[in-house]
Amino acid sequence: MDTSYRPELITTARDMEELKQLANIGADALTVGHQHYGLRVAGDFSLFDIKEAVQFLHASNKKLYVLTNAIFHNERLETLPAYLQELDKLQVDGIICGDPSIFPILNEMDLNLSIHWNPETLSTNYETLNYWHSKGISRAVLSNELSIEAIKEIKNKLSIPVEIQVHGMTCIFQSKRKLVSNYYNYIGDSSGVDGKQLHLKQFKEADSHYPIFEDCNGTHIMSNEDLCMMEFLQDIFLAEIDCVRINGMYKSRDYQEKIVSLYRTAIDTWISDQDKFNQLTETWKHQIIQIQPDERKLDTGFYYKEQIY
Amino acid sequence: MNKKPELLAPAGNLEKLKFAIHYGADAVYIGGKQFGLRSKAGNFSFEDMREGVEFANKYGAKVYVAANIIAHNENLEGAKEYFKNLYEIGIAAVIVADPALVQACREAAPNLEVHISTQASIVNWRTVQFWKEEGIPRVVLAREVSMEEIKEIKEKVDIELETFVHGAMCISYSGRCVLSNHMTARDANRGGCAQSCRWKYDLFEDGLDGAVAVTEAAEETYTMSSKDLSMVEHMPDLIESGVDSLKIEGRMKSIHYVATVVNVYRKIIDTYYEDPQNYQLKQEWVDEIWKAAQRSLTTAFYYEEPTEQAQLFGKPDKIPKYDFAGLVLDYDESTQIATIQQRNSFSIGDEIEFFGPNFYHFKQKITDIWDEKGQAIEMAKHPMMIVKIKVEQPVKYYDMMRKNK
Repeated sequence: MDTSYRPELITTARDMEELKQLANIGADALTVGHQHYGLRVAGDFSLFDIKEAVQFLHASNKKLYVLTNAIFHNERLETLPAYLQELDKLQVDGIICGDPSIFPILNEMDLNLSIHWNPETLSTNYETLNYWHSKGISRAVLSNELSIEAIKEIKNKLSIPVEIQVHGMTCIFQSKRKLVSNYYNYIGDSSGVDGKQLHLKQFKEADSHYPIFEDCNGTHIMSNEDLCMMEFLQDIFLAEIDCVRINGMYKSRDYQEKIVSLYRTAIDTWISDQDKFNQLTETWKHQIIQIQPDERKLDTGFYYKEQIY
Repeated sequence: MNKKPELLAPAGNLEKLKFAIHYGADAVYIGGKQFGLRSKAGNFSFEDMREGVEFANKYGAKVYVAANIIAHNENLEGAKEYFKNLYEIGIAAVIVADPALVQACREAAPNLEVHISTQASIVNWRTVQFWKEEGIPRVVLAREVSMEEIKEIKEKVDIELETFVHGAMCISYSGRCVLSNHMTARDANRGGCAQSCRWKYDLFEDGLDGAVAVTEAAEETYTMSSKDLSMVEHMPDLIESGVDSLKIEGRMKSIHYVATVVNVYRKIIDTYYEDPQNYQLKQEWVDEIWKAAQRSLTTAFYYEEPTEQAQLFGKPDKIPKYDFAGLVLDYDESTQIATIQQRNSFSIGDEIEFFGPNFYHFKQKITDIWDEKGQAIEMAKHPMMIVKIKVEQPVKYYDMMRKNK
């Protein structure tokens, strides 16, 4: 085995304070953005914040990735080039994109930003990712609806780094419509959605808990379960998946810190002593269960689940 | 004036293909046995496709094949051979969403045209420019694109644009929804969509004292079901926007639906082009659309951000329901007797309506029915039975007879 394998631990940050805290605890890279350009950001970061974040992270050899994966309509494209120009100038370490509009724009501007390709549901095989590689992406962020076996095959057939999510909720739906506002309007409730934390329960699925929110990109629905791959990290590490990501949306700062620190420990232990790692994964999982909110079940997403069609 | 746009209709099987074309579609899109998103539609074998293409050729119409799944590794096998076969059969274009399948098609059948599917959520001119630079001749825009945005895209990129004019729609960005995957383990992007968006939900506001169900006090539960798109009243706008192909949704829909909807849009497009200055929408076209409608209708994103008015809440609106009662096989002018293949039962005394291509219509009551032996009968009750009936106006092969449900 290649002993130089060191997976990158990435996580989201809702603000500067959390960014610094999570970097100090052990995240190798932080993902931030602004809802005007990025999807499902944990909190809005201005360019000014991004500048500070880059300086802070680069000082300790850590990375900052910026979400620019919105489904851009024509109007949004108008300010996008200037935004990209700024990100390039600030020397962010990568932009997370999911719309092919990025390629002609970057080509015309002759910018050298590193593209992490994440169209979420739309890139689910190695040929497609190789195609995007030929267009200039430098990292493949894989869909959450893939099995571990599929991920391994993709990893083997791709020559760029592969990133997957290992913890937290995932997005399962995006509409351009304001679906919650529309509902409030229909029932004549004028209180609006601003500032509310909301979730859906599916009639036929007892105790289901699907967070739902609106922003300038429309309506987003998040998964019923929180992904938790702690017990199965071995499968991911043996496959030498390059980057593993924690999504901290809807979680308390304390929870997020604990989770990042546990995954940091897990990665470090894997690198230093795999026997010890194998002995401790259950303990770490138990520590997660202890802080897991009651209404949020943990599971392994689609990594070990068959889908039919 | 812009070139007359193509009217593109769905065809779930060979019979629907023939009706769609006979009723005025310039092109149809179908699904094959692989790589398509409508696993429950009839879908075409290569043999059916050959027959479909031959039929279409007689009318100067085209046949496109939707191969619009988002493929997983194991779905890639056989793609090249599949596209090669389609090309040899004479398919005019494939509608593809996944770049892996675009590449497979180009390698195996370089002369087979590739159109990028609406599943790829193309909503801006730069993305259209990207596909243009990749050598793609046509993209199908996402349903979220407005009329103004279409015009801007058309101005900025020289490429064929295809947009939906009629039919059911996803409430999400198509391709960006995995509700079905998560709630039922059925992969929406490979044809397994369980339409979870149209289910019922409780909406909760989470507070410090726990969650409060907003839906409990309300008379209506939370749901996310879109009304169906219809641009029947706004066709001049779409035509003037420069769109090249006007697409009707519905490979799962009935023959009656396809024939009725195609007939209306064919009539509107032709009427507009005969005399654009004096074009006026006729109520009978709108009424005709409602005879095939399955849900209330909306213009969705074309003119404004859809509100609650564009969603299905509360009791469904009353929509008249019609059955396809019979297909005209033959007509004897001297006796004014038509030969009919029964498609749904009908009886003496029933009010029926005949209709045919070019918006031909008339209503009458059924006065006489004879079976194949010439015996007078009261009711045509057996599926596909051949009967003769007296008709008040001339009819011809392919005309259809509908009846109120």
